[in-house]
Amino acid sequence: MGLAKGFGVTLRQMGKKKRVTVPYPEEKRAKPQRLHGRHVLNRYEDGMEKCIGCELCAGVCPAKCIYVRGGDNPPDNPVSPGERFGFTYEINYLRCIHCDLCVEACPTQAITETKLFEFSFANRQDAIYTKNELLVGDDGRAKRMPWEYWRGDEDDHTSAWMRATSSSGRSDYEGRVNWSGELGFGVRAPEDGQTVDSNIALAPTHATESHNGHNAKADH
Amino acid sequence: MTAVNEAKTTVTVTIDGKSIEARPGELLIKVAQDNGIYIPRFCWHERMKPVGMCRMCLVEVDGIRGFPPACTMPVSEAMVCHTDTDSVKAAQDGVLELLLINHPLDCPVCDRGGECPLQDTTLAFGPVESRFVEEKRHFEKPIAISDLVLLDRERCIQCARCTRFADEIAGDPLISFVDRGDHTQVLNFPDDPFSSYFSGNVVQICPVGALTAKPYRFKARPWDLATVETSCTTCAVHCRGAVQSSSNQIVRLLGVDSEPVNQGWLCDKGRFGYEHVHSAARVLTPRVGGREASWPQALDAAVAELKSAKNLHGGGAIAMIGGASGTNESAYAWARLTKGVIGTDNVDAQLGDGIAAEVVLGSDRAQISDLDNAAAIVLCAGDLKEELPVLFLRVKRAALELGVPLVDLSAAPHGLSKYVTHALGAAPGEQGLVAEQLASAIGGATPANETIAAATRSIGSREGNIVVILGRTSLAERDDTVVSAAAALGALPRVRFLSALRRSNVHGALEAGLAPGFLPGRVSLDSGRVHFTSNWGSVPAERGLGTEGILRACAEGKIHVLVLVGADPLADFPDRSLAKQALDTVGVVIAIDAFETPSNRRAKVFMPCTLWAEQGGTVTNLEGRVQRVSRKVSASGLALDDWRIASELAQRMGSDFDLETVDEITEEFSRVAPAWAGASTATIRNARDGVVLPFADHLGEVVFRRGGSSLDIEYSLSWEPIRADGDDVAVEASDVDETAEIDRTIATEDALTLFVWDRVVAPRSIPQRDAYALRVNVGRKLYDGGRIVAESPSLVGLKKAPTMLVSSADAARLGVLSGESVKATSSRGSITVELKAARGIAPGTASLGFSADGTGASELIDASVSVTDIRVETLR
Repeated sequence: MGLAKGFGVTLRQMGKKKRVTVPYPEEKRAKPQRLHGRHVLNRYEDGMEKCIGCELCAGVCPAKCIYVRGGDNPPDNPVSPGERFGFTYEINYLRCIHCDLCVEACPTQAITETKLFEFSFANRQDAIYTKNELLVGDDGRAKRMPWEYWRGDEDDHTSAWMRATSSSGRSDYEGRVNWSGELGFGVRAPEDGQTVDSNIALAPTHATESHNGHNAKADH
Repeated sequence: MTAVNEAKTTVTVTIDGKSIEARPGELLIKVAQDNGIYIPRFCWHERMKPVGMCRMCLVEVDGIRGFPPACTMPVSEAMVCHTDTDSVKAAQDGVLELLLINHPLDCPVCDRGGECPLQDTTLAFGPVESRFVEEKRHFEKPIAISDLVLLDRERCIQCARCTRFADEIAGDPLISFVDRGDHTQVLNFPDDPFSSYFSGNVVQICPVGALTAKPYRFKARPWDLATVETSCTTCAVHCRGAVQSSSNQIVRLLGVDSEPVNQGWLCDKGRFGYEHVHSAARVLTPRVGGREASWPQALDAAVAELKSAKNLHGGGAIAMIGGASGTNESAYAWARLTKGVIGTDNVDAQLGDGIAAEVVLGSDRAQISDLDNAAAIVLCAGDLKEELPVLFLRVKRAALELGVPLVDLSAAPHGLSKYVTHALGAAPGEQGLVAEQLASAIGGATPANETIAAATRSIGSREGNIVVILGRTSLAERDDTVVSAAAALGALPRVRFLSALRRSNVHGALEAGLAPGFLPGRVSLDSGRVHFTSNWGSVPAERGLGTEGILRACAEGKIHVLVLVGADPLADFPDRSLAKQALDTVGVVIAIDAFETPSNRRAKVFMPCTLWAEQGGTVTNLEGRVQRVSRKVSASGLALDDWRIASELAQRMGSDFDLETVDEITEEFSRVAPAWAGASTATIRNARDGVVLPFADHLGEVVFRRGGSSLDIEYSLSWEPIRADGDDVAVEASDVDETAEIDRTIATEDALTLFVWDRVVAPRSIPQRDAYALRVNVGRKLYDGGRIVAESPSLVGLKKAPTMLVSSADAARLGVLSGESVKATSSRGSITVELKAARGIAPGTASLGFSADGTGASELIDASVSVTDIRVETLR
């Protein structure tokens, strides 16, 4: 009885073209806008690192996969603005669950996530990304490591787009775009039902044009 | 009606509808806190006088207009106070908004972030939002106000905790408010850094991140620190502290408020000296003949040397110096190894820089808290500020705040000089004579002079005990001057002694029998012979030598194997040339140490041992208080605990201790050692403030921890006095199962009695000083060349080259300018040293700092003569 019912479902579906799975990896679906992938550590426009080594990301991390140690900024050759910089920054990707709480916690939007998830390692040591690998390059885009499979623009919009809450958690910001400009990409166009807050300085950047087409898309 | 009020010793106040009994005059904020009502505050600190500066503790009191601050409001009968009304909340909001106007809110980069009272108080009591949008005030970001402390004036909320601590508690008023209005800032004086020995405390009590400590700066965040309570063993006071580590690295030591010991304070050497544990200079593998070896190889090599020396020359050909740097358990294991297995009594935990063990162990002992209500405090020790800084704070408080007269027998000016009531002006080496004069005056004889008469009068007019702080007054003199002073004063009825020996766990080592003529638990070799033979198998036949005798015997070739357990005679023994001769002559040196030192450089066998925070157990402080120390980080390299090394050696010598854990040693210790009779691991574990030895006499004083035996402490507000939770009422022994009976059977079975010093001293004569010579007083400095300072990067720079202080009359007579280098020559040797003319030095005497790196004063001192006279000549 039950068997016949089950096969009935199968038979009804046969021949219909409405397939939702894809034969990965030969074929790959477009990723959602807010997919949480591998992290990047961002820089300011002048090349200074945004990370100040405050360890809030490590503190909030439910998987305890982040290890940060702060350091005293050398006054003659500062790494980041202010007194303190992230001297050591490590993420263990065997532990990371990509919950993005680190991104939420970061007071300087230093850590954000790309949409990259296709990367693998041959040993445990390699799974620990150090600051060298996480830090964005001079162009503000993620460094693409040989063992990572990057597709097109997966490192676009790595910034505040990924935040689930608005800045300082204030409900006033609901329905408004309120994150600051980020190197290379400027302020995002509003999503469904959002307006652009007039207080936000739109950061004019060189890369805005080249990625404009993607910005307009808000289908996630 | 009036009569009823006068008879009443408490007043009844109502706080938030709760009726509370309090002592009149107690501060409202404290009464509320003790009854579970927290009134927010920044400037008020329990151990300091209230100022009412921050206005955070505003409350409403019926009948009083406005909002009086609870920290300056003494309670009075029928007072009705409200701390949670809407108007109080509005006042709190207003105060916090005001305090935050200029606060930079750079919490993510601030070391205080996460444990910040301003953060916590704002969250709990503050306004949601600030209306202030203007530019905040700006100062240069952290400026170093001393070598250890950084000041960020932007973050400061002007609570005056630091300035009040420096002035009231430490007695170093080196920081103060400057400027007015919104420019008010804390600063040190130009060209005068905040170089207090207690500067780390202001970092701990700062309610914001304005004061940060350089060694901890950006090392970790408070939420990823693991904390455990322990005692600091840098000196013999054993201040309670909370050691914190992150990723197996010690990053901070906070002071824990223990009323009988340190009242929450730490000195900087103790607070920042943890760095030496992680020093790169640590020896991490055993060595045999200078080459790295495995533990079995090293142990076998050591045992081979010990066995052959014992078989050829007898146990007396082996000597051990040291054992004062580990735990009581380590000291016990070493005492059992040397006295019970090797069979030598040539064992000494002191390095010729202390006092005879008979005096320390056999005199009536005082506790640190006895200083507070003493009839008088007699100073017969070195400079407490340099040697035992936190004890200095306690003595200073007793003298200044509690009005206890200070009677000074010192020969040189010291940290307490300005608080001394009666300076008896003893010359170097003559403390014994002056003490005898004082003792006979107190005993009723005619005083020898007016100062002694005045001291006698003020002692006579007060109740309580006379507490004599007894330590080595000068390393340039033999200890007999102190011993004769102790003999004279000890004969008086009200006198109690507080030992001022400074080295780490030296009192624990002496109690464990690491002294010639002693066995564990304060018994002499002779009286404990039967008892310990039955427990250990054998004990040495006759009394052995102390460190000086051991070194002399080494130099004469009578001792063949010298075991150094964390001891560095070349650096610490006052007579360097004797130490050098001994180490050059002795056949074999076996070293147990964490560092390579000049003394153990050519050791045949070197065995690395663990250090503080790497080993657990108990330690005994200068009042005989046994407290637990905790292991916080794992042992570095292959280092083993001292007791483990002793036990392994014993097993290889053919005598298995059968002791596998620290607790087993504690248990055996309390089973065989009379002073420990009745102690159990459970009692020691549960005693909040430790247990004072002899245990049986002090069990009634024990306060038990409410939270059980765990030393993991959860502190939420490190800036408030951190306290281990305990029941305020001393618990009867029977309340704790394990201590159901005070077992004193040891004392009765073998007729063992605790050693009592007979106060017999050999007559001594002090040689005449010739008119050209200066009689020198040599004392320790806090930042000496010792291992802790030398291996702690933050402290090593604080070490200063010793200077010689003379009176300006002598400087003029010698034709030397202050600040000039001179050559000082004694009968032993000569050194070049900077000379300074200073006040308070008697003509004909000089004061010189002892440098524990083997240079300086130790070249001048001859251990066999009772005082050291020097000639000074210019180098011009």
